[in-house]
Amino acid sequence: MTYETRTIRLPVPERILGANDEIAAATRQGLARRGIFAIDLIGAPGSGKTALLEATLRSLGDRRRPAVLVGDLATRRDGDRLARWCNRVVQISTGQGCHLEAGQVRDALAKLDLEGVDLLFVENVGNLICPVGFDLGQNAKVGLFSLTEGDDKAAKHPYLVAEADLILLNKIDLAPHLTFDRAGFEADVRLLNPTVPIIEVSATTGAGLDKWIAWLEAGSAEVSGTS
Amino acid sequence: MHEFSIAEALAAQVLRHTPAGALVRGAEIRIGALRGIEPAALQMSWQAVTHGTAIDGCLLSVEQLPWTITCSNCGRSWSSQKPFVDCVCGDTSPTPTGTDELDLVSITVDEEDSR
Repeated sequence: MTYETRTIRLPVPERILGANDEIAAATRQGLARRGIFAIDLIGAPGSGKTALLEATLRSLGDRRRPAVLVGDLATRRDGDRLARWCNRVVQISTGQGCHLEAGQVRDALAKLDLEGVDLLFVENVGNLICPVGFDLGQNAKVGLFSLTEGDDKAAKHPYLVAEADLILLNKIDLAPHLTFDRAGFEADVRLLNPTVPIIEVSATTGAGLDKWIAWLEAGSAEVSGTS
Repeated sequence: MHEFSIAEALAAQVLRHTPAGALVRGAEIRIGALRGIEPAALQMSWQAVTHGTAIDGCLLSVEQLPWTITCSNCGRSWSSQKPFVDCVCGDTSPTPTGTDELDLVSITVDEEDSR
């Protein structure tokens, strides 16, 4: 008997993030059963994710029962800010992690009493690239850009723009002081995602928040079956 | 560096698919243009996560799928590594379309064959 080595290629077709996607699918099912509309808020550091959520929670008042998961590298600052407006906030510390993964969201949700909750905001880690490819079990991905980042940010982050169900353009109150080309920004978005709604907002002045909240209400109505 | 998370998930998959006693020479993966994966960062992460494991030295081959560019002005369609390019007809905003595959395709292994 002789031994011979042969080199063979074994087809093993499989999604690389399949394990993450399975957890996300289970989370999505669980949220759907409760009629919770969940959004994954993705934006750069300093784009105003936390400020937008603070303003949103303040505007929603008692009309809704939101819960918030907030991803951050190390601090509790964002969670503490949001806890002033909502008593169902879980901070997810990612350590060195540049994005949230489905398992972290599942574990954070397990810490919350979701009875009666109808909206879930997941504030991702400040990053326009890494979070996009990781399904968390959300109903909608919201891409948050801001005027201070420059008008080429959409073109430079095609994955987020293409995957987004809504684009928010924040800090619109600063428009008179900046040279941000809003038409050019919108044209870049349209090339990558022809039908995505774009809403201009200011978390500081409250401008445009009514449109953003109307979009949330519409999504929520769809999920809870009351549309 | 989402490349690191991806490399970790991939290493676990390759190990799971490796037949007992086989030496893994390579892993072949396919990535869509939308993913925005940096091949150098992925290779660096791959080396880091496989170091000292049973698949140390396994060669990672990455097929990066290009963007499809379509010009609404003249109707041309072509492949490009970059999403924002001009068309030869002069149009400066043809539409880029990418896909979001992130797939393990195959593994290449040495198996001892007894005859």
